[in-house]
Amino acid sequence: MAVLDRTRTPDAGVVVRDLTLAYGSTVVQHELSFHVRPASIFVIMGVSGCGKSTLLRHMIDLEQAAQGDITFDGQRLWTENVAERRALQRRIGVLFQSTALWSSMTVGENVGLPLQLHTRLSAAEIRDQVAFKLALVGLAGQESRMPSELSGGMQKRAGLARAIALDPDYLFLDEPSAGLDPITSQRLDSLIMNLRDALQLSVIAVTHELPSIFTIADDSIYLDNESRRAIAHGDPRALAANAEHARVRAFLNRQSVDASTRAEGDGPESPARSEVL
Amino acid sequence: MPQSASHSRLYRIESRNGAAALVLGGDWGGASRLPTSQRLVAELVAARGDSEAPITIEGHDLESAHPRVAALVYAVSQGLRSREIAVAYTGLPASVSSLVALARPPAADAASGSRAHWLTRLGAAGRNRMEAFTRAAEMVGNAFVATPRLSVGKAQARWVDFMALLRETGASSLPVVTVVNLLIGAVLGFVGAVQLAAFGAGLYLADLVGIAVAREMAAIMTAFIMAGRIGATFAAHLATMEANEEIDALRMIGVSPFEFLVLPRLTALTLMMPLLFLYAAALGIGGGMIVADLVLDTSPASFLGRLQDAVAARHFVIGFVKAVCFGILIALASCYLGMRAGRNAAEVGRAATRTVVVSIIGIIVIDAIFALCTNALGV
Repeated sequence: MAVLDRTRTPDAGVVVRDLTLAYGSTVVQHELSFHVRPASIFVIMGVSGCGKSTLLRHMIDLEQAAQGDITFDGQRLWTENVAERRALQRRIGVLFQSTALWSSMTVGENVGLPLQLHTRLSAAEIRDQVAFKLALVGLAGQESRMPSELSGGMQKRAGLARAIALDPDYLFLDEPSAGLDPITSQRLDSLIMNLRDALQLSVIAVTHELPSIFTIADDSIYLDNESRRAIAHGDPRALAANAEHARVRAFLNRQSVDASTRAEGDGPESPARSEVL
Repeated sequence: MPQSASHSRLYRIESRNGAAALVLGGDWGGASRLPTSQRLVAELVAARGDSEAPITIEGHDLESAHPRVAALVYAVSQGLRSREIAVAYTGLPASVSSLVALARPPAADAASGSRAHWLTRLGAAGRNRMEAFTRAAEMVGNAFVATPRLSVGKAQARWVDFMALLRETGASSLPVVTVVNLLIGAVLGFVGAVQLAAFGAGLYLADLVGIAVAREMAAIMTAFIMAGRIGATFAAHLATMEANEEIDALRMIGVSPFEFLVLPRLTALTLMMPLLFLYAAALGIGGGMIVADLVLDTSPASFLGRLQDAVAARHFVIGFVKAVCFGILIALASCYLGMRAGRNAAEVGRAATRTVVVSIIGIIVIDAIFALCTNALGV
């Protein structure tokens, strides 16, 4: 478990350097480099099939890339030291796309299991922690329900409660608002922002939901599925207007790429924070 | 004047002029065990006495804003509020108070876990059983109605699937059927050889092995193997399809799940089981023959000669008919239990296990019925 007010070092947050993602000989993304600042929300965006989820799977150590490096607060993810690696993994919370709640356990057991396995808390304190985490996501008193009895939005929130069970420093969200109605999706967005503020979390979210991106993102990266590179990096609101690449503007403005190319040259390109990595 | 109720670096309970306070301090990160919230609530209520003043939770002395603090503050506050005691906070670190503010207490009507009357539950269980029985009967009925459609090529099933199922149930099962039946035949041979040799009746080993294998063992052992190998696979596959809404998708394009999924499986298993039985019987007898040669020095030629005289074709027919029945049973049980499984991972496993259990019990029951009938008929 981490202490909330973390000291800020130059390496603070998550740093990805020259990461090349590949399945066999097929390269999914070339040489990704970016920095997720502590206590900020970083969005990985791009069209379906661009490698967003693959990048996320690498960042949470479910896969290891042949080339490149990822550090969390200066600590390398892919070290040979297994104990260090597991310790770092425990500081990472993940909300999977399908929520991945264990269907044979109640909601309370789902949230309590990481605490049982990784802490030496007493049963009573685990019960308190579970009640608190569920209250944080607005599911207070739902401990004894089974995941299958919850609606889609409630399942997402239960998944979120499980992801923050161990008070992680880094929270990864895979398509958090996929399959949710606009109101539930908006509630989830504000919940994520509240949790970031309250828990001082570094949040890394993979999503292509535009309203969500514009609401939560402090910073973002756009993975292109044609050049297989990150072609934009910065605040998505600025990128929507000023991104250098037509495909990024088309994505963020929900236009066809042609329409976005035609609009090119309407005024000077602002340097904002748009850059090619 | 503060009166200390308990001594600890991490927390203490004070009562000042009748108002109780929980004073938190120190570094909570290192402490492995903390007082339970229930104990703190009880102590606070005791310290408060008859006073009406709110209970204060103080955090001026906290050295770090560890997340455990927030969970404890929330739990204590909830415990106090449930007793309709007001709570006030002072000096809590900003991160703790913002977390506590974010936590939403349960709605008043959230706890509705009351159990129904036992008679109601008994009735509901009975109705569920009746419904399950109706569904099972419906599936058997469907099988009778749809099989003729398959034979005239009008069923909504795909040949590719059917061929793959034939291979899976037939050819792919050969290795395990081979090993098991060869060894069962050999074991019967050993047991029989020792007993018969004692009476100088070693030649009759062919009778013993031949009848036992053809009438009982080949069909039963093969059916057990198929229940474990194929029945469990079918059930898990269909249960996963149900969980993924694949079966609903079939219904929506106007395809009968029975014809598309159950019928090919039923037909494949019903066709393959008797063939596997013949193969298994041959291997079982082969196993017995090897043992006869090794233990009793009965040559294969004389063993087979004796077998021809002793084992009438009707023994094979009985085994053959049983194998067909076992095939139908395993296919229907696996498809029925698979398609009725709930929509989650645990249910998939449960469907597979139940299929194996139901099939094995069913196989023995059917075998017993056959034994009764053949006995009554004198065959």
